[in-house]
Amino acid sequence: MTADVTAPAAAANAVTARAVTARLASVAGSAVRRLLGMAATLLVTSFLVFSSLYLAPGDPASFLVRGRSPSPQELAAIRHQYGFDDPFPVRYWHWLDGVLHGDFGRSYLFHQSVWEVLWSRLPATLLLVGVSTLMIAVVGIGAGIVGALRNGTRTGSAVLLLVTVGAAVPSFVAAIMLRSVFGVRLGWFPTIGNGAGVLDRLHHVVLPAIALSVTFMALVTRVTRSAMLDELRREHVEVALSRGVPRPTVIRRHVLRNALGPITTVCGLLISGMLVSTAIVETAFGMSGVGSLLVQCVDELDFQVVQAIVLLVVAAFVVVNTLVDLVYPLIDPRVRTAGGAR
Amino acid sequence: MTKSRPVPRTRRTLAAGALAAAVLATSACAGTAHPAAGAAYQLTDATPAAAGPIDSFTWSLFGEPTSIDYAYSFDFPPNQILANVCESLLRWNPDLTTSPSLATSYSNPTPTSWVYQIRPGVHFHDGTVLTADDVVASLRRNLDPAVAGDWTSPYRNVKSVDKTGPLQVTVTLNTPDSTFNKYMAASPGTVESAATLAKDGKNYGNPADGVNCTGPFAFSSWTSGQSLVLKRFDDYWDPQLKAKAAQVKFVFLSDPTTRVNAFRTGEVDGGWMVPPDAYGQLRSSPAGTLYFGQNTTVSDEVVNNLKGPLGDVRVRQALLMAIDRKGIVKAGAGGVGEVANSLVTANNWSGAPGTAAADALKALPAYPYDPAKAKALAAQAGVAGQKIVIATSPLDSQTTIITQAVAQAATAIGLKPEIDTISADKYTALFTDPAARQGIDLFLTFWYTSITDPLDMYAGLQTGAFSNYGGWSNPQFDAAVNQAVGAYDPAAHAAATEQAQQTAMTQLPWLPLYTEPVSVFLGKRITGVRPSIAYLYYPWAAEIGAKG
Repeated sequence: MTADVTAPAAAANAVTARAVTARLASVAGSAVRRLLGMAATLLVTSFLVFSSLYLAPGDPASFLVRGRSPSPQELAAIRHQYGFDDPFPVRYWHWLDGVLHGDFGRSYLFHQSVWEVLWSRLPATLLLVGVSTLMIAVVGIGAGIVGALRNGTRTGSAVLLLVTVGAAVPSFVAAIMLRSVFGVRLGWFPTIGNGAGVLDRLHHVVLPAIALSVTFMALVTRVTRSAMLDELRREHVEVALSRGVPRPTVIRRHVLRNALGPITTVCGLLISGMLVSTAIVETAFGMSGVGSLLVQCVDELDFQVVQAIVLLVVAAFVVVNTLVDLVYPLIDPRVRTAGGAR
Repeated sequence: MTKSRPVPRTRRTLAAGALAAAVLATSACAGTAHPAAGAAYQLTDATPAAAGPIDSFTWSLFGEPTSIDYAYSFDFPPNQILANVCESLLRWNPDLTTSPSLATSYSNPTPTSWVYQIRPGVHFHDGTVLTADDVVASLRRNLDPAVAGDWTSPYRNVKSVDKTGPLQVTVTLNTPDSTFNKYMAASPGTVESAATLAKDGKNYGNPADGVNCTGPFAFSSWTSGQSLVLKRFDDYWDPQLKAKAAQVKFVFLSDPTTRVNAFRTGEVDGGWMVPPDAYGQLRSSPAGTLYFGQNTTVSDEVVNNLKGPLGDVRVRQALLMAIDRKGIVKAGAGGVGEVANSLVTANNWSGAPGTAAADALKALPAYPYDPAKAKALAAQAGVAGQKIVIATSPLDSQTTIITQAVAQAATAIGLKPEIDTISADKYTALFTDPAARQGIDLFLTFWYTSITDPLDMYAGLQTGAFSNYGGWSNPQFDAAVNQAVGAYDPAAHAAATEQAQQTAMTQLPWLPLYTEPVSVFLGKRITGVRPSIAYLYYPWAAEIGAKG
């Protein structure tokens, strides 16, 4: 009995090892292809970003001389000093060359290198997005699973109700409510600033992260719930259950695993989208991050900083989505096969 | 948003004050309060003196400075920080007089020269000693096209700045300019170490390098986007203004509600420019006290298009008469303010001799609220049914209320107002970019002066001046302003200025709405500040200490 089982098991293991190697090779191949695609996307984006900003109304030189009427000579001197008088391709090339060497130029507004300006704001935004992502994943997927498994019961309806409410609350409304209840009235959380040190930073980021992620959590819950329900209704699930396979095992192996595809895709899109939605929440909680910086720099025509941020956000989008694409075949065998055949 | 910021990002006009300044010692009358005529608020000259030193306090700013280089400091956030760190040749006091600071005395031996005697034994924050070379290097930056600073206009008549003794600097003018010396009490008179300017170059005043000046506080650190910290300077030369706090932390909070919440929770100890819609809330708050002080700010509708219906002076007069300005003060400014009949406040005239100030005020044409009369006046001009565009930005309730009231007035006199709501960035651009002002007839501003002199405002309305947005031109007005700028005699100066003001207020290139006091909130831990618009140049934070 034991031997009977062991032999096929060994064979199965060998098959699995071969399959794993093949899968890794195919993943590596597609990873290289995707990385190249990513680079191309970024290059095209950089061109679009650079040119669209220079097509936008408003003259950075007029910002630089704010507060007074410069003579035409003065204006010409300023335009020359900042290279505004170079032809477009030259300006683009200078900029791209700088970016490739890690130099995003100098902010007109802050009299500092763009990199220094960004570096001082990135950690806060990354923490905010990181904590929000965690909340979305844990709460969003968790509630979705509960909603699907308890479908038709009171708990299921409660989840549905929360999803509907959550999806309808814009982050600025959530920010105002959270701030006035838990910040001002109860005094449990600080209402301004980024904090210093790990625990203090986390303490500062809780309310903003909830405000930022409430809509996204609801979306993920909804997607998770419906994806799980779809899987639950499938024939093989019903067959497995009727054959007496324990329900938790079926849910884990068949239902959740198959539902993870759409869930991952949605999460990926939401997370990269969050980078640009932080401005309102950051402002409401007096935090200093990339979102509020972007708004300010658009206001003041500080093109160098705007270009760097937009490029950064696009890069984040591309990277997160590439990661999702790479992870997808690992969790969904059907895609894997299709990918391997390609 | 409070006044100034994006919306009506105030271009402060610079008005300079009393020539007689040097005589006046800083007079601190503690705790005197006087009610503004018939108003529901009172102005306070000084808050109770600090009982003792304090380790640190936190202060809110509505925006982050982009630099603390004095050459680029032309807005509330950088100026209220720098006022405590960098000093000018003269000092603008909370009572809006000026007195000696880094210059112990000055003289005007010829109409085109100003000679400054530099104070000996003053140390910069890095320990080096102030010399005439530092003053020359600092003032000359305002003339340098490569610096392209914000303060070139006060220097428009300057020919050269030279060292004429070990501790003496002479400024030579092309033509007599009575306002130049007054500006030496504001940013244009700032003195920085020449060595630091040379060493830091383009990085001077940025978050990494900061500044090296002589004030009661020294630059300590600046965390971009979050806060800027100053620490007490122990070698400060003026014992009267030695800082009581060992440290001040400025935090940048652009959202007005966020700022008010931070006051209420005690996370922030105070701040200038309290949002008017929070006056009520903060007056009754156990978290601290709200004070009002002297100001030089007037809210105005700028007439941006003189080719449209507003090109006829009768229509401008009619519109002003049809605006319910008392209603605006009540609804838009929390009842804290007075209807304005001039583009400057009475405070701007405090440097004028004798009864000149009172006379100027009495002689002003008044435009009392009278929609019927206004309608008749506009009918004479035959503009009924014509469209005007009023620009606004959805930044605070105050701006929205004022814009609605102006639109209502336009309707009342037969015009067809159209409200053009534009984003904050575009709104800011109105003040600098002619292209952004295309197609707009009126826009709102809160305009203040940096010196105690109405000329700071009126020189900006001369033909071709930068802030003359509507391209208004009146030869009589231009001549009167020129005459006033050239007049050193206080009486002649005031007379010519009054003449310019008369013309402006009859012709109404801008429509004055109301004046408002400076507001400041102090949390329950701190006291000692003197509420006044002088906070933009006077080391106000040095006087703040612990409450008993």
